Amino acid sequence: MINNPSHPKKGHLKTKDCKFSKAGIEYIDYKDTEMLLKFINDQGKILPRRVTGTSAKHQRMLSTAVKRARFMALIPYVSENLR
Amino acid sequence: MKTDFYEMTYILNPVLDDDKFKELVEFVNKLITDNGGEVVDVDEWGTRQLAYPIDKKNTGYYVNLYFNAPNNAIEVVERNMRINDDIVRYITLKYSEKMKRHYELKKKGDLPVIFEETEEEQQSEDDN
Repeated sequence: MINNPSHPKKGHLKTKDCKFSKAGIEYIDYKDTEMLLKFINDQGKILPRRVTGTSAKHQRMLSTAVKRARFMALIPYVSENLR
Repeated sequence: MKTDFYEMTYILNPVLDDDKFKELVEFVNKLITDNGGEVVDVDEWGTRQLAYPIDKKNTGYYVNLYFNAPNNAIEVVERNMRINDDIVRYITLKYSEKMKRHYELKKKGDLPVIFEETEEEQQSEDDN
């Protein structure tokens, strides 16, 4: 698998570096809806760290930001087609 | 009196007309100034689709504002906003140093970009 680039598992490997740390983000804004949508799945759940590679610190900030955005009806609690 | 920097977002009932919106924004700003605060910036996002219905309404008029206020003013402002039936939701955040730096960067328009696509890098790694 390691030497074979066309191995089916190879494509599913996600990058393991935190996008927020890389960009030098200090605070995650709940108003930035477009960005937050990339960190939730189609059900509206927050994606786990093992999938996105976000650092623990930023994951905590992200989860508060998502929850604030949900409260202000900027992003759904549960997506439309599942309700 | 020690003051802090706050951010507030609130949603107004969308069935009202423009004059009423203006009146309500004035009402909130006046609440803040009357309690010893000072409004820095008001940003009206206008009518937006809500992600889920609130009180059987699918849209809302969003207003986002930044202000300085002494910490005992928040309680009074929020109490008055809760009583007003035309204010559907509100959220108030006290800004920490980090959040203030974020806000300054946002105002200047040079926030760090989070999604610079790294697809190409991955592909070149795969070729090796």
